[in-house]
Amino acid sequence: MKKFILIFCIIFNSYPSFSDQNKIAEELYNELRCLVCQNQSIKESDAPLAKDLKLIVLEQLKNGKSKAEVKSFLVEKYGEFILFKPTFSVKNIFLWIAPIIFLLFGIIILYRFFYFHSKNTNNDDHLSISEKKKLKNILDEDQNI
Amino acid sequence: MQKYYYYIPLLFFLVLIIFFARQLFYEKDPSELPSALLNKKLPELKLDYMEGNKKFSSEYFFTAEEPYLINVWASWCAPCKVEHEYLMELKEIYGATIYGINYKDRIEEAEFFLESYGNPFKAIGIDNSGRVAINLGVYGVPETFIIDKFGFIKYRHVGPIQEYDMHNTILPILKKLGERIN
Repeated sequence: MKKFILIFCIIFNSYPSFSDQNKIAEELYNELRCLVCQNQSIKESDAPLAKDLKLIVLEQLKNGKSKAEVKSFLVEKYGEFILFKPTFSVKNIFLWIAPIIFLLFGIIILYRFFYFHSKNTNNDDHLSISEKKKLKNILDEDQNI
Repeated sequence: MQKYYYYIPLLFFLVLIIFFARQLFYEKDPSELPSALLNKKLPELKLDYMEGNKKFSSEYFFTAEEPYLINVWASWCAPCKVEHEYLMELKEIYGATIYGINYKDRIEEAEFFLESYGNPFKAIGIDNSGRVAINLGVYGVPETFIIDKFGFIKYRHVGPIQEYDMHNTILPILKKLGERIN
């Protein structure tokens, strides 16, 4: 653990210290989808459009716009598809709460499974005494062989 | 366990099938984005104009008496050549008004393109930096917008206009918006 923390500190310290603007810009490059090659961020993409978008992001940040403002500008132009992370809105609510619903569902199923499972293994009471004897005899026979 | 529990996987399966079928039989290419600007006012476009052509400015759009098309094109773009003949047809046979935005192109080559294939545009603006295209939410040439006479974007076509698109989407929309189509 100590080693890990040490390595973490070293990496973190040696990371080039960007100015705030560039840092935000870098963050944005990673969060914005290139619309030409649609599963790449504009940071990864070499498409001319991605380059133009990067320029616009940088320019708007330099003009004093906040990260959220730059994002909303681009969403206004290209739609929410340009964001890798969908916004938390009524339209997307299912997307956000679905994992929680599925998790709850899984827990319920697991609970029921173990509940019934343990119940089933405990009650062998439904065998009558004579049946139990029979069963014992059969098992004993098996052992004798 | 009660029996209805056994139907839950089936139910899941059916819901999944419905989702998959929807994507499978969806007619449009899913990589084509719906326009975020649909039914919004055309943003202000700052464009240089192509010499020899009429000056292109967004003032036109707000004083337009009829709906019109805006076509983003470039001479280096092969699909633009494909759709060019339909743009010519739209202009010459159907009398549609088309404005062009020349995207990241060399002027001489753009001019040569128009000389060889004809000029369907009422005016052409030049977008060298690609800024105007981003303002319009364009992510690849060619793209075509239909603007109504109040300056609202009514339709966006991604990719080349083919004969089918012209007859089944472009012309009906123009008719609906009230352009006098011959």
